[in-house]
Amino acid sequence: MTPPRLLVGGALLLSGVAVLAIGFGSVAIAPGDVISILARQLFGVDVPPFIQSAGATSIVMELRLPRILAAILVGAALAVAGGAFQSLLRNPLADPYVLGTSSGAALGAAIAILLPIGGVAWELGGVQLAAFLGALASVALVWRVAGIGSGEERIASVLLVGYAVASLLAAALSLVMLASGANLRAIFSFLLGGLDGATWPRLAAAALPLIAATTLLALRGRALAGFLLGDEAAQHLGVDVRRERRIAVALASLATAAAVALAGLIGFVGLVVPHLVRLAVGPDPRAVLPLSAIGGALLLLLADTIARSIGVPVGVITALIGAPFLLWLLHRARTGYAL
Amino acid sequence: MRYERVRAVSTEFAMQIDPSYELIGARNVRVEIGGKLILDEINLKIGVGERVAIVGANGAGKTSLLRALSGTLPVADGEVILCTEPLGGLSRATIACSIAVVGADLVLPFATRADELVALGRLPHGRGPSGPTAHDRERAAAALERVGASHLAARDVRTLSAGEKQLIAIALGLAQETPILALDEPTVHLDLKHRVEIADLLVSLADRARTVVAIFHEIDMVRQLFPRVILMKSGRIVADGSPESVLTAARIADAWGIPQERAARL
Repeated sequence: MTPPRLLVGGALLLSGVAVLAIGFGSVAIAPGDVISILARQLFGVDVPPFIQSAGATSIVMELRLPRILAAILVGAALAVAGGAFQSLLRNPLADPYVLGTSSGAALGAAIAILLPIGGVAWELGGVQLAAFLGALASVALVWRVAGIGSGEERIASVLLVGYAVASLLAAALSLVMLASGANLRAIFSFLLGGLDGATWPRLAAAALPLIAATTLLALRGRALAGFLLGDEAAQHLGVDVRRERRIAVALASLATAAAVALAGLIGFVGLVVPHLVRLAVGPDPRAVLPLSAIGGALLLLLADTIARSIGVPVGVITALIGAPFLLWLLHRARTGYAL
Repeated sequence: MRYERVRAVSTEFAMQIDPSYELIGARNVRVEIGGKLILDEINLKIGVGERVAIVGANGAGKTSLLRALSGTLPVADGEVILCTEPLGGLSRATIACSIAVVGADLVLPFATRADELVALGRLPHGRGPSGPTAHDRERAAAALERVGASHLAARDVRTLSAGEKQLIAIALGLAQETPILALDEPTVHLDLKHRVEIADLLVSLADRARTVVAIFHEIDMVRQLFPRVILMKSGRIVADGSPESVLTAARIADAWGIPQERAARL
């Protein structure tokens, strides 16, 4: 199948899974009822079977829809950012957190949890805001030290600086956790990641950077395609390397920071989904990035549905589904097409 | 039509009617990296359909010259001309539609089919987020066929031999469909058979529509196949002309630092 067809097919599959996921839970709602409720509430259209109890409507609209949308947006953002970093840094092991975003976000969130601040606004999203700012701060530090966009940076040094900054921030996080006392559980639950806190207000706050950065990044595949052969070759293929690297790093970091702020640290999606897509369509980012958005959304949606049914953090499930699936695919990969 | 396309068509036309058309030019070009002089007093003019070999010892500035001529190394002084226009004023996409540079090595981070890789040569001719078009795939297939590597189309480039990789790299440059094809040591690390194959291919590629400029180490091969040789030493062009006039025993002895009686036997 060609990438455009896969994209359409994937989007249809994602919509179907989303409807099933909304219906799934302690109060089961039939897919037909879910479609009927969504059509009525979102578009004002009446679709059979028209059975819309107030309770079911409230469960769909207030509890499940924001969480399902959050899973889709976060999954898409992490997978696209991971795919972009892998292409940009020419490293199959790169993931969205390669520039220290995860450690920065975790430290920001931990400090926010410890701060003696109260109030409705803070309860609503103080920790998320701090995580977002922490993630951006760590990227800014890596950007500056590694000289991203200067034209002089080396890929290995970007990776090493990212690793060093992440280690430094992780050490600071450990100190904060040691000093946190009763708040340790709250910090730990942020580190494990999850979509329990995905309410409408938090989703609304994160939606703009999530959607904008992910979409713009997914559409920059042409420039990123040149990077497959290295910086010098990218220039010879007509890519303005300095400019495109700045844009890609900025968009990928923004998407990751917003995703982390909304859902905490969810591993594996950003690493594995782009590789799964590459196994199907090859390494051209023009195909890999848009398809990774669909694939990441699908994986996180499925993982979160399982996670909320058995009460386990979603990050555990993404790794439990993703890792064996990747290994299985590697085994049956078409001839000469191993990772 | 896109500007790059218009320019390519008009370039092709100008090349056909004007025998003195200047594809590549350099006027007193000087290049410095971190205060260190890399290239100095570079003056040259390369016209349509020429076959030019650049030779010289390691560190003589051959690759730097190629990079300066293709705009990936900024010049400190002087001017580089590409298709009669100053290179400094051209966008990267425009440069990529004028000169294709085939690097010394293909290293890929992910499994990549040869035809997918060659299709990347079409990047400067397109725009927007969509992948290679049917036309792009067709041009890529034609480029693979031109270098005689159609049978490798579905292979992962990372599993190919050095000689096969070099063919794919040249196909990538051909898919760019530029009037100039520049190559950095296309025969390095190759055995005799592949060296001969690549050399013959390069000779056949140079025609009225395509100029070939290549860096070489094998001066015996250069002598036989390239009508024009540029000899470099310490960042300067020390000789430029026919192989008989450039590759004399005295010049070889001086450029590579070997005894003249030994150079006479090369």
